[in-house]
Amino acid sequence: MRPFLAFDTATDYLALGVGDLDAPDRVIAAVDFTAPRAANAVVLLAVERLLAGAGVSADALCAVAVGRGPGSFTGVRIGVATAKGLTHGLRVPLVGFGTLDAIALRAGEDGLVGVVGDAMRGEVYPALFRSEGDRVERVSPDRVASPSDVAAEWAALGEPISLTGAGLAKHAVVLETTLGSSAVVVEKRRWVPTGEALVAAAWAATGDRTLASVAALDRAAAYETAHPQSMLPIYTRLADAEEAERRAGRHMPPGGVVGPEATR
Amino acid sequence: MTVFRDMRETDLGHVLEVERVSFAAPWSESLFRDEIGRPDRRWVVAEDAGDVVGYGGVMVVGDEAHLMNLAVDADRRRGGIARALVWRLAGEAAALGAARMTLEVAESNFAAIELYRTCGFDGAGRRVGYYPETGEDAVVLWSRPIAPALRAMNAARSGEDLILAIETSCDETAASVLRGGSEALSAVIASQVDFHARFGGVVPEIASRKHTEALVAVVDEALAEAGVGLDDLHALAVTQGPGLVGALVVGLAYAKGLALARGLPLVGVNHLEGHIYAARLLEPTLQPPLIALLVSGGHTLIVHASEWGRYELLGRTLDDAAGEAFDKVAKLLGLGYPGGPAISRLAADGDPQAIPFPRAMLRSGNLDVSLSGLKTAVIQYVDAERGAGRELRLPDIAASFQAAVIEVQVAKTLRAATDHKVRSVVLAGGVAANPALREGLRVALAGHGISLSVPPMGLCTDNASMIAAAAHDRLLTGHVLGLEADSVPNMRLDG
Repeated sequence: MRPFLAFDTATDYLALGVGDLDAPDRVIAAVDFTAPRAANAVVLLAVERLLAGAGVSADALCAVAVGRGPGSFTGVRIGVATAKGLTHGLRVPLVGFGTLDAIALRAGEDGLVGVVGDAMRGEVYPALFRSEGDRVERVSPDRVASPSDVAAEWAALGEPISLTGAGLAKHAVVLETTLGSSAVVVEKRRWVPTGEALVAAAWAATGDRTLASVAALDRAAAYETAHPQSMLPIYTRLADAEEAERRAGRHMPPGGVVGPEATR
Repeated sequence: MTVFRDMRETDLGHVLEVERVSFAAPWSESLFRDEIGRPDRRWVVAEDAGDVVGYGGVMVVGDEAHLMNLAVDADRRRGGIARALVWRLAGEAAALGAARMTLEVAESNFAAIELYRTCGFDGAGRRVGYYPETGEDAVVLWSRPIAPALRAMNAARSGEDLILAIETSCDETAASVLRGGSEALSAVIASQVDFHARFGGVVPEIASRKHTEALVAVVDEALAEAGVGLDDLHALAVTQGPGLVGALVVGLAYAKGLALARGLPLVGVNHLEGHIYAARLLEPTLQPPLIALLVSGGHTLIVHASEWGRYELLGRTLDDAAGEAFDKVAKLLGLGYPGGPAISRLAADGDPQAIPFPRAMLRSGNLDVSLSGLKTAVIQYVDAERGAGRELRLPDIAASFQAAVIEVQVAKTLRAATDHKVRSVVLAGGVAANPALREGLRVALAGHGISLSVPPMGLCTDNASMIAAAAHDRLLTGHVLGLEADSVPNMRLDG
């Protein structure tokens, strides 16, 4: 057994799970709970208790998978920074997964799944997935958008779609009105992630710095491949001060900061 | 001089006096008598000049130590006796095989909860109606592992402690390794100034993002430069506040994760206290009482330190910080960001008496300052000159503005120093780079036989060595953080 920790603090709803690098279907322990604006105070104590309950010591962890967002900027950073501290100290790889991917996996509906995270300021983080059995494939990249634009885009697909995500609490009406009978709203308790869903999302993530890319490597090679230094949150928005510059046609680099070269 | 020793039956008279004034439901003499001498118990008293001024006891069961009772004489509280008792008992408990300590405390006993929290205890639920006499709930607390904390405190006492400190309160990502509270083995700073410059000030969201990106590499560089590994460290330290909340949480979340992973104690440091300790890095013999003038982009404070760790805020800015005023005036004059160096350079060629800008609150009778009126006066002057079609004499404006800022700062600092009869003044913060301020303050203080200590530039601006230096003393007095610790963006020095 090579245990790994998966956790997500991108929203007010925290989830943590412990999986096994040698057994993709295995969930050793899981917990989820609401903790509004309290992630920094509660997440590591929750990690310590979850591990103790599962009989796994912190230094036995072989990897950490963290939810990269999108979500609350500060919430995502608390998760990523906490995960960086843990993995930097343990000398184990830090991998990521999308916060909305975990919620799509929780939905448990076949066909198109539309996840809307709450982006505040009247906007949502929309992401589209195609689900079949326990396989969930991402169809659209992370971004921020107005609920009415998302509703119109998803309606234009002309396909039944399951809606989920905490953004529905504020924006279900516009989506349901536009999508009409093709939309099915997933039951509310499934709008938030579980520890089990995080473990599944960590396994399902593709690309660099994912569990799949390091699971077969030995510990040292895995650490170099997914070094905590290179993990970054998914913001989708620039800082307000830089937003005007983006509107002027500049794209956002991975670190979420355009930088001084933009003025030259 | 307080000494700590095992409790004896002959102490019980004194112990009961303290017990009765400390708790609503005091323990009886027979209860204490029954406790002393049991093999799984350790009872300790703090004695001062023959008087028992405090005591406490633990019961060890397996690897858990239950802190059963702890009290300090009412007129000896807030002097560090209770904290010393906690760690003395931790040492006794560790010797009996305990890995952690736990206790119950009445939820209304804020002073005790604060003590345990700052000894690194975390909450673990409550016991409803735990105290039959009052019906009050008890809060259950658990310590972090005690052996690493005791090891770090012992290392600090012998001056051999290696502390890795992290600072992310504003726009510098910094890490440093310090030995024995004074010897900086490394000091790494990743400045973000270029990312904020075009906005004319620090953009908090950009600062938070850059910290998240840079922190791991900055720590690795600090360890490599010091030639030490994580295994060599005794403790970690991090700035807990004050500062930008989004920036602070990145450093704290990372530091707590690292502390849990390595089993190291984590010390939380007040950023402003760090600035005062920067002077001690320069002059290891520097001793309070002293006055500190902290002037930076975010702070303008006059502080009296009666001893290390004990501060009184004497004066502060009522509006803009000094560095902020320099930035705003520089922006107005088209000098770019940061404004301090630009104004200081220009001022060297100007006449400080050319324009009679106001000296706000110079004779206010207290030590507060106000800088927004001065900024407005500069704006009005510039508008009037432009309106009259005259070319702006930038060196004179810069020199006259700077002179107005400095005259007030110097006068207030001198008054604080003479009022409190201190022999030493510390100048710290980024604005301490201003040569005219340094010189003005040095000359004014020298006239009263008071010495001025100004750390070199790299220690005046935000850095992690000063955080590690303050953390060394915090360790000596037994202050560590639990995993529940959060950032405190408005943290006070005199809290």
